Formats: sequence, C-alpha cells, structure tokens
Amino acid sequence: MKNRDDRVPLDARGASRRRFLRGAAAAGASALAAGPASALSFDLEAFFQKHFREMSQEDIEALQTRLERKYESRYGKPFNVASTGPIDGVVYGYGLDIGRCIGCRRCVYACVEENNQSRDPEIHWIRVLEFEREHALRGIDLEEGNPYYDHEKVPAEGKFYVPIACQMCEDSPCTDVCPTGATWEEPDGIVVIDYDWCIGCRYCIASCPYGARHFNWGEPQIPADEVNPDTHVLGNRPRPRGVVEKCTFCIQRVRNGRYPACVEACPVGARKFGNLLDPNSEIRYLLANKRTFVLKAELRTQPKFFYFYG
Amino acid sequence: METEAPREPHDDGARIRTTTWFVLGIAAMAVLGLFSVRCELGPNVAREYPSRTLPPEPQPVLMSAPPPDEDYYPCSDCHELEDRNPQPRELEDEHDDLELAHGDLWCLSCHDLADSDSLKLSDETLVGFDESWRLCTQCHGNKLAEWRAGVHGKRTGYWWGPKEYRTCIVCHNPHSPAWKPIEPLPPPRPPQQIAGRVRAEPSEVRHEEP
Repeated sequence: MKNRDDRVPLDARGASRRRFLRGAAAAGASALAAGPASALSFDLEAFFQKHFREMSQEDIEALQTRLERKYESRYGKPFNVASTGPIDGVVYGYGLDIGRCIGCRRCVYACVEENNQSRDPEIHWIRVLEFEREHALRGIDLEEGNPYYDHEKVPAEGKFYVPIACQMCEDSPCTDVCPTGATWEEPDGIVVIDYDWCIGCRYCIASCPYGARHFNWGEPQIPADEVNPDTHVLGNRPRPRGVVEKCTFCIQRVRNGRYPACVEACPVGARKFGNLLDPNSEIRYLLANKRTFVLKAELRTQPKFFYFYG
Repeated sequence: METEAPREPHDDGARIRTTTWFVLGIAAMAVLGLFSVRCELGPNVAREYPSRTLPPEPQPVLMSAPPPDEDYYPCSDCHELEDRNPQPRELEDEHDDLELAHGDLWCLSCHDLADSDSLKLSDETLVGFDESWRLCTQCHGNKLAEWRAGVHGKRTGYWWGPKEYRTCIVCHNPHSPAWKPIEPLPPPRPPQQIAGRVRAEPSEVRHEEP
C-alpha cells in the first residue's frame, strides 16, 4: 500500500522520520539479540584473515569464495578468483626489443583491461617513456623520459621508446622495505602483493627505482561491462582503495601457460616472454644471442626484465 | 677512628632508580627483539605450494598468411597476354597504386614471368603464394633463425602450449616491408590535470608569514 507521506517533501515528514527511527532501533535490537557474529560475520572474516602465505588450503578456498561473492554482487556477473600456484622448474623472464618498440601504447591499454586497473583515478602499470635518439649514445637516463608524448603517428622522428613496468627484481628493494610483509617474491620469480595485508604506507613506491608501483588514491572505478572476471588472488582481482598494485606478468595467465596480455597486444612483436630455466625458450635464446641490458644495473636489483636490440 | 660517612638517603634512591630503568630497558629491548623475530618468522615463511609440473609442450600452430588480394589474384586472369614486357619501369596502366619500396627489387625478382600464379625462388624453383616466406628468407636468413627461435615476429597463445606464429607477410607488406607509423593510444593524464586534485605549480605556492 502506498504511503501518504511519500507526497510531502522528505524534510517535512516528521511522522515518517519518527517511524524510521523506531524501525531502525528495532532492527538494531534484533541484530544484537541474534548476536554480533551474524550481523558482522562478513567483516569479521576479512578482519581476521591471515597473511596469504600463512593460509591453509581451506583458508584460501574460503577467501576465493568470499571474494567471488563480493565481486559478483558488485559487478553483476560471475567471477573466477584463482589461486593457481607456481610451476616447478619455471622462473619467468621478459624480453623487450627497444629497437622495435614504436611507442604505440597498445600494451598499456591491453594491460589496463586484462588486469582491472582503475579507469578513474587512472592507473597504468606500463609507462612508455620517449627519449631522444641522439641521447642514446651516452646511455639512458630514465629521468629524461617523457611518458606524456602525444604525436599523431608513432614512432616520431628522432625518438625511441622504452616501456617500463615491474622489473621483477631478484633482489627487490620493495619487498625488503614492506613493514607488513605484504609483498614478496614467489618461487617463479613474480613479485606479488597481498592486497589485504597492504597498509598503504607506500614505502615500496619510494624504494622502487623503476616507478613500477602504483597507489590507489581513490576508490578504483571499473565499468561493470569492462571488468575482467578471470582473476587471481595475488594478481588482477579488483583492488580496494588505499593499496599498492603493480604488474604481475599477468599471473592469472602465465601460470596457466599463456602469454601476458601485453605480449599478445604488441603489434610489432617487440615483447618476448618465457621460462628462464628452459634452455630452449625464446627468452634464453635472446639472452644468449642478443645484446641485452637491464635498467639501472648499477643498483644490483637483478631484474628479470631484459631489454635488447633486435 | 674514621666513621663511615652517613649515607645520604637520596643516593640509595638514585641507585635503585638507575637499576630499575636499566632492567626495564633490557626487558623492553628483549620484548622488541622477540617481536621482531616473530615478525621475521611470521609472514616471511615460504608458502608450501602443491607441486605442479609442465606437461610435454604441444606443437606450435602456424597462422596462415592472408589470402592473396581478390582484386588481382589469380594473376593469370590478366597476365596470359602474349606480349609481356619484362623491362623494369614505372607502372602506369595497372598496379600504379602499388608502392614498391623493397631495395632494388623489381616484379620479376619474386614473380615468375611465365607462370604468373607462382612465385620464383632465386634457383628458379616455383612456389605458391602460400609459401611466400621461403622467398623472403632467401635474403633474410638471420630473421628466419630468429623467427624460428621466437625472437623475431609476434607470437600469441601460450608460452607453454599451442602458440601462434605468423609468416612474414602477415605483418610486412612484401612490396614495402618497412613498418608504417601508426596512431598511438592516448597518453596518461599528467598529475596537473587530474580532476579535483589540481596541484599548484611551485611558483604558485604561497608562503604566508604567520
């Protein structure tokens, strides 16, 4: 039955407000009577969640189910939150041919779509830096790179391009400085983040020499029709506000044998990916046969992301 | 006889206070030390993952080249004429929209004069249009080796599993093989343009005296 009070302005509905307050009090009382566990069970579960590496298999399965339920209700479509582990005898390595990269940013947006990066505030895990070709002879100074170039056509005359994302350092400063142990290197070399244990202190951002880590300053916005429901707990699942995120080599794809999204998006085939422990892999071929280098080698972070001249 | 100097009561108090602070300090350090050890052992314990091994790798999949242009192929529809002109020249009547920028090559470097529906290797062997890569790799042998290793050219699919390769002409126009510039996707928003979070330029920051 339609309430008569609906026709009067909200602030004039004294009777309505009283009724509402009475209703709210009654609801609160019944919730208390049923016990705080039933009213708060969802939050309590998250509050007492263990660190990912201390979880049992049952804990992880419970977490997956809880996250899937949460994302399904938020985005209105079925979600898969995997926790696929590393593969024995596999350490991932990445190669990027800077002689071939044209700076078209196809990789940047393929990554945004695959890895559910926030559209607003905008987060890009890959930054493509533009450099003057004539400066290349005296070495690359990353400070001189311009990520905001906007030409009609690329490659622009006299320029070259260096896309940068997480370098997956073997001796990673970011994991050393994290006060809660929320970021670490997996056995297959992927540096991951437990978004539920990140406290948002951003020490890792300050310590990363490559600017590869990004902070969710605002609530991440991803349109429901664009969200990728095929996710990984430590990878591309939608993140909350106030945590750090970064490239994971598409952990949800590579642990199932697939190429990362950026490799598949690159129109010139400048991006190479494979198993560093497999002597027949393409990454080992280019390490053996090409002139390769790593960024800021003098810092001895030992990246597993190699640049080469094709 | 020397008598013991009378003790001053505040001396004792000072000693007790010093000892107490010392003991408390040691205890606090011990607690902090234990806590840090606990932190170290806590989340940093390597997680035991169930073992996963790689299956044998399946054969790669070669992506077939796009079919020849229907406007022209089969070439023999027109090129069955009697009076063929093999001389290198500027094309005027037909194929004048074709940009030829591939070294010093001329049509008959790759196409066969007698059998126009075939391509011709340098040893006069005829190959079909679907095997054009054999023609390209006569000169670009180093690229062939790198393409086989997966370092030249684009690959999609699986780093361990069925991967898709592309032959030369999927990406390169054989008549003008150099990569043509394309339009880039939009740049990231510079910090100054982020809505609601306008950052003052250093010159605009006011330093007001209290």
